[in-house]
Amino acid sequence: MTLHHYLILAAVLFCVGLIGVFTRRNAIVVLFSVEIMLNAANLNFIAFWRYSENPALLHGPLFTLFAIAVAAAEVAVGLALVIAVYRHFKTVDLESMDTLREE
Amino acid sequence: MNEEIAFWMLSAIAVLGALVAVRKRNLIHGVFALMVFFAGLAGLFLLLLAEFIAAAQILVYIGAVGILLLFAIMLTERVAGDDGRRMTSRGWFWGLVAAVAVFVVLLLPPIQQFPSPEHARAIEPSVKELGEKLMHPYVVTLEVLALLLTAALIGAVTAAQGVRMPKEEDSPE
Amino acid sequence: MSPDLVRDILIATVPLMVIFPTLFAFTTWLERKALARIQNRIGPNKVGVPLTRYGGRFSLFGLGQPLADGIKMLFKENIVPRDADRLFHLLAPILALIPAMLVLCFLPIEFPWTESLLPVQAFLLDGAVIFFFAITGLNTLAIFMAGWASRNKYSLLGGMRAIAQMVSYEIPLVLSAVVVVMMVGSLNAAEIANAQAGWNWFVFTPWGLAAFVIFFIASLAETNRSPFDLPEAESEIIAGYFTEYSGFKFALFFLGEYIAMFAISGLAVTLFLGGGAGPGIATLPWLSAMWFIAKIFALIAVMIWLRGTLPRLRVDQLMGFAWKFLLPLSILNILVAGFAHFIPQENIVSKVAVWVVSLGILYMAAKGLNQLNRPNVRPRDYKYAE
Repeated sequence: MTLHHYLILAAVLFCVGLIGVFTRRNAIVVLFSVEIMLNAANLNFIAFWRYSENPALLHGPLFTLFAIAVAAAEVAVGLALVIAVYRHFKTVDLESMDTLREE
Repeated sequence: MNEEIAFWMLSAIAVLGALVAVRKRNLIHGVFALMVFFAGLAGLFLLLLAEFIAAAQILVYIGAVGILLLFAIMLTERVAGDDGRRMTSRGWFWGLVAAVAVFVVLLLPPIQQFPSPEHARAIEPSVKELGEKLMHPYVVTLEVLALLLTAALIGAVTAAQGVRMPKEEDSPE
Repeated sequence: MSPDLVRDILIATVPLMVIFPTLFAFTTWLERKALARIQNRIGPNKVGVPLTRYGGRFSLFGLGQPLADGIKMLFKENIVPRDADRLFHLLAPILALIPAMLVLCFLPIEFPWTESLLPVQAFLLDGAVIFFFAITGLNTLAIFMAGWASRNKYSLLGGMRAIAQMVSYEIPLVLSAVVVVMMVGSLNAAEIANAQAGWNWFVFTPWGLAAFVIFFIASLAETNRSPFDLPEAESEIIAGYFTEYSGFKFALFFLGEYIAMFAISGLAVTLFLGGGAGPGIATLPWLSAMWFIAKIFALIAVMIWLRGTLPRLRVDQLMGFAWKFLLPLSILNILVAGFAHFIPQENIVSKVAVWVVSLGILYMAAKGLNQLNRPNVRPRDYKYAE
């Protein structure tokens, strides 16, 4: 396995997440598509670390650990917002939340 | 050889899981497909000898984020899944085209230019060292992260709680 | 893969998959017998060992009962509700069993036949304890899956209760294990067990004792054991998440639950009760595994005893107990452990002092928390009754 294998896999996963963001209207699905993209980035960090000149510095795992923690915070806040929005609009369809749009 | 088999299997699991998660109309099925994706990714981390990250991945993503997503779905969608209401998608074909375009135009060229070392260095994975690194040079980051998580906790609770209703009179029941 | 590696992996894992389900069968018998004795009954006593029906003299205390139960389970009809999600309904019991079986690998049980193996055993992994917690967490998903797929409101209620309960109690569980990890300085299960060689079990330290009690209570909740068996409270929600399960799928849930009990008791043994340490292991190394399993059984016996003794909690009491009592106490215990670690304990006086001060702090904290959490219950005025 070379570094390229992992990088291309991460890019593919990122694009799968992108499809979700582009095509779905449900706020929760969009949120977990974003999560897929974040995880693809984490895979990149770990792969770069593993194939780096000096893996003993542990930069990759440390950064990934921080990224995981931030992502967890992001999901918690995101879902709380989704619930708040649902309470207001009675839907989680992103296209129906358009009260700011001029008619 | 072993590593190659494992890599291809795990990446197939991860990609399929992600695809199903993104495209499945039934949200609960989608979340479980997402878990499969997370598990596949944790396997890949193990393959890259980042075992603590793999454990954290399972613990945080499958154990916490997944449950959180399930709760959010149960609180917003219909309990039995959403096959009654049609809230599908706008042209998934164009979404696919856009994603492939991003892949080919934006992501692939830098990857191809990047030098690819054939073999990884032999390393001795050590959770202890990771912990010591967290304590020695990165302790500020760790503390900031703790602060962030606390803030997120409080923020999430206030956001999800909504406007508090005036307290009703205590009525003896 | 080299054939040696395959062989060693099989030797390391297959016995686990044979021994623990066998112990499960025995435990169901033990539990029925013990509960019966607590309730002044006799319990199963008819089925003999080679399934001699009404074996009379050969009934051997009804030891054949689990076998008969197993055969009954296998031949029962598999009923799936019409509206159920068939795929998830099938997957849920399997998913409930897999993590429970998987975490058994992280217990540092040194079976005599594993001595000459390559280092393939999972408990030699550097982060074994954290893997244990990560994989036990998957159980929650299986329970939710079962509750959701059944399309039955009682199942779903049971599933949601299970998630809330397991997520809440996981925190005190992990925090009480953190104390041990902190003191040993390793997440490696084998290293933690070795650090307690001789009689230096962590349960014989003030912080270890407190952590062990918290761990044990939380593990009861984590495995849905009485008094925390709300997800399957039969008087409230029929059978909770496995209401709609029958036959072999039900048996799988049952098996998964007991294996999870073994696994979490095994972790308690590793963390606090010295792993395989015990008298006689220096001369007879195979006794180590025996001691390990004997200690697991001691904990299981306490669990059965509690099931026969304690009434079930209410939902709000359950959540309050985890968040307002166990969680602050386990955090305080980490501080106490730090304190006890830095006080030199050379002579008996300082040892006693550390014990007294640590347990005093924890006791006062428990008292205070109890006082703080006291519900303001007034005498109820009854409208329609005297």
